Amino acid sequence: MQVVTRSRTLDPENLDTLAQWVARVLEARRVSFSEATLLGGGAIQENWRLVADVEGGPREGRHTWVLRTDAVARISLSLDRAGEFGVLKAAHAAGVAVAEPIARCADPEVIGAPFLIQAYVPGIAQARRIVRDPALKDFGESLAERLGSELARIHSITPPREDLSFLPIPMLPPARNEVAKLRNALKGATEPRPALEYVLAWLDAHAPKPEPITLVHGDFRTGNYIVNEGRLGAILDWEFAHWGDRHEDVGWIMARCWRFGNDALETGGIASREAFYRGYRSAAAMPIDETLIPYWEIMAAAKWATVAVLQGDRYRKGGENSIELALTGLMPPEMELDALDGIEALIATGDPRWQ
Amino acid sequence: MAVKRIAAETLIELAVETLRSELQPVLPSEHRYTAAMIANALEIARREILMEGETARWELLDEVYPQGDGDMKQLALDIRSGKVDGTKVPDLRKKLRAILIEELAIRNPRFLKTRQNQQ
Repeated sequence: MQVVTRSRTLDPENLDTLAQWVARVLEARRVSFSEATLLGGGAIQENWRLVADVEGGPREGRHTWVLRTDAVARISLSLDRAGEFGVLKAAHAAGVAVAEPIARCADPEVIGAPFLIQAYVPGIAQARRIVRDPALKDFGESLAERLGSELARIHSITPPREDLSFLPIPMLPPARNEVAKLRNALKGATEPRPALEYVLAWLDAHAPKPEPITLVHGDFRTGNYIVNEGRLGAILDWEFAHWGDRHEDVGWIMARCWRFGNDALETGGIASREAFYRGYRSAAAMPIDETLIPYWEIMAAAKWATVAVLQGDRYRKGGENSIELALTGLMPPEMELDALDGIEALIATGDPRWQ
Repeated sequence: MAVKRIAAETLIELAVETLRSELQPVLPSEHRYTAAMIANALEIARREILMEGETARWELLDEVYPQGDGDMKQLALDIRSGKVDGTKVPDLRKKLRAILIEELAIRNPRFLKTRQNQQ
């Protein structure tokens, strides 16, 4: 059996309990694994590729799956695996390009943490490889257009939804609700960030008029989708999904901090803004107000700065001795600078909404 | 030939140079990211040792808390509560930005340079 280890939760040498659990859930006689490989990426959770042989039941045959588990510590802004599975099922049913959700396990005894299993989708997700692909000039615009239309499909999911009743309906206007969530997450933070607090106060005071809420992916950006030979494979990482303002997702993928150095390509470092907007318009029931996107880009910078503070605290006080977490914890001034400059630029437009 | 002092910052500089020139080229691809993180961490530590003070931070704290009874934590709390804002502290945004510039000079000067070139 091929085993590539860097295990924290799943023990690739001891998959019998997992196999029995999967067999029971899939109504199979027997399940065995011939490969378990820890995939890269995912600072918050582990991703394992599993090759499974299923004997009997509706899924009989050989399958390649991805098992995603919570890491040692989670940050307060993310959904648990059960929530993520529910959102994935809703997105899959709405025709969004996601890896098919197959099973979820809330019992931490099976492998040591709750997890979910999805179909494996081939391709690459690493942002730096995508934005530095020499063929990007050939596929970037069409990929961004497709991403735009996929996002519009995600935003077609609206409350009330019984299957998504675990997602709280915001009691405040969506933008103010996001600010409240970030402020709450920062309450116990180790490193005080006055600039981030300034940005949050500005965002709160200049929140756009509330619009009908939709499902918001919450982490829709380069690095969180799979590309296979220039084409979209699947949208990943649904753990930040919530009900909110659809402009939030657009601001997130456009934000400078998610262009990975390709600053001129404003859609996630891969393409023009217009390509993404074109795709969104082609599939959207409600158009987006493009003049609001710079506001949501500032929100994106504030959110990433907050997540970086929390990731740093996983090292500072969470007992996770990781150089990656420690370095992430030093990143907030980068996003804070972008946010302050974004505020300056909006004020300079003279638009009364931002004064 | 001048005699070199083997100071902490010199040792770190040498460690980074050695990592980059001797180890990184021969490392298997799955370890290159970790090696890059180690080099980055060492360089931040070296710049922190050489840091000359946090002028912008202290100037703002002195302005907001002239009695010396406030620190960055208090400032963050006071901005959140609205006690400190742009009407009470002129050019607050610019002053906070100056603090970020100081931090980035230590934590990520390359990022700072990119942003300054874009302006």
